[in-house]
Amino acid sequence: MPTIEHNASSFEVDEDGFLLKGDDFNQDWVQYVQSVEGIPELTDEHKKVIDALQEYYKKNGIAPMVRILSKTTGFPLKRIYELFPSGPGKGACKMAGLPKPTGCV
Amino acid sequence: MGYNPEKPMEGRISDIGPRYYEEFHPPVIKANKGKWLWHEITQPGVLMHKSETGDEVYTVRVGCARLISIEYIREVCDIADKHCDGYLRFTTRNNIEFMVDSKDKVQPLLDTLASYGNSYPVGGTGAGVTNIVHTQGWVHCHTPATDASGVVKAVMDELFEYFVTMSLPAQVRIALACCLNMCGAVHASDIAILGIHRKPPMIDHSRITGVCEIPLAIAACPTGAIKPAKTEVDGKEIKTVKVNNSRCMFCGNCYTMCPAMPLADPDGDGIAILVGGKISNARTMPSFSKMVIPWLPNTPPRWPEVVGAVKKIVETYAADAKKYERVGDWAERIGWEKFFEKCEIPFTDKSIDDYRLAYDTWRTSTQFKYTNAIK
Repeated sequence: MPTIEHNASSFEVDEDGFLLKGDDFNQDWVQYVQSVEGIPELTDEHKKVIDALQEYYKKNGIAPMVRILSKTTGFPLKRIYELFPSGPGKGACKMAGLPKPTGCV
Repeated sequence: MGYNPEKPMEGRISDIGPRYYEEFHPPVIKANKGKWLWHEITQPGVLMHKSETGDEVYTVRVGCARLISIEYIREVCDIADKHCDGYLRFTTRNNIEFMVDSKDKVQPLLDTLASYGNSYPVGGTGAGVTNIVHTQGWVHCHTPATDASGVVKAVMDELFEYFVTMSLPAQVRIALACCLNMCGAVHASDIAILGIHRKPPMIDHSRITGVCEIPLAIAACPTGAIKPAKTEVDGKEIKTVKVNNSRCMFCGNCYTMCPAMPLADPDGDGIAILVGGKISNARTMPSFSKMVIPWLPNTPPRWPEVVGAVKKIVETYAADAKKYERVGDWAERIGWEKFFEKCEIPFTDKSIDDYRLAYDTWRTSTQFKYTNAIK
């Protein structure tokens, strides 16, 4: 599996660019994902989504369902797509360092 | 304007949906939409629809491998350009239909199709075996227990005469799914070919924490065989799962949710055969297919065991069923014990339902026929 160097950090990722070890997450990772996801500027709203994802994941061991993410952040799905053009799974979860979404996706 | 990876949202077009289907209607279809009076099958693979305006449209149906190259599609387009003013369609079973608006144009079209050798077999209409609805298999999927294209080719080669003729009591729908996600139609087909596993998943403890949402893997199990557990990897305690192997029935759902629980196994994996499903409401209600052969080995490239089993069922059905009877109707009428006997399929405990609502599938009656199917 490839390793990605960004700033001072290195990350082990899978072929879709998701972190293989959630522990590797840090601000360098956020900046790296921002650069590959085509997000022009990181705002507090991005931060709020990432924090909500990480908090939910730490507490429950799974990524939240889309409705729950919308409810806890107060952002409708449309807004989440505006923040993360690839969507809550491929965009936000990747940036938050959560495991890659599975199932018939 | 080309795509600019620096500004991915610039000039982006989205949510436009598919093209409106009427844009692609041949003129005769457009002119007679909603005005059809009757149709007939003039020969295997050729249909004629008569409109109240007097117009006729002749449809020539040809078999297709479903998994096809762009060169093949271009060839199909060439045929459509030559005979059908550039129009064609694909059916819900992935056959191709060429339409012409007069009888004189049918034979030249058939001649052109024949000039490509066996590439465009005409058939798939009426009481025969039409195309096999199938899935990805080893070509593209990561959860299959068998291949799709390979098995389908092997089976259709053997049943080809039923594709180009209409000699059966009713149409026989064959479907294949390479795992029991059952993408497609296997759960409601006359004969269904289904990839199955026979071994529990292997758990990759060193990866599981990073790549799995463990509660999802636990919730994915239909029998409650997966439990959360802790184990030590490189001297560090990590969260993982434990599988109760005696409760596992190898469905592979946990692998779908969790990449660290693979279960594919070359010797364990194979094919189950199900029969008797249908989706139409004609005469009898739609029904699910039932499992009659629990396991046949994966024997690429020609799967002789599977092909033999399917052929035996089709031939027995063809010889024994009444006109218009689907495979399931026939089996229900003669009784499943007679189905097993006539098809010479040994009945095993694997065919006895033991999942939750199983009771209703057992026989709560003294009505039965003596049979030699149970050895």
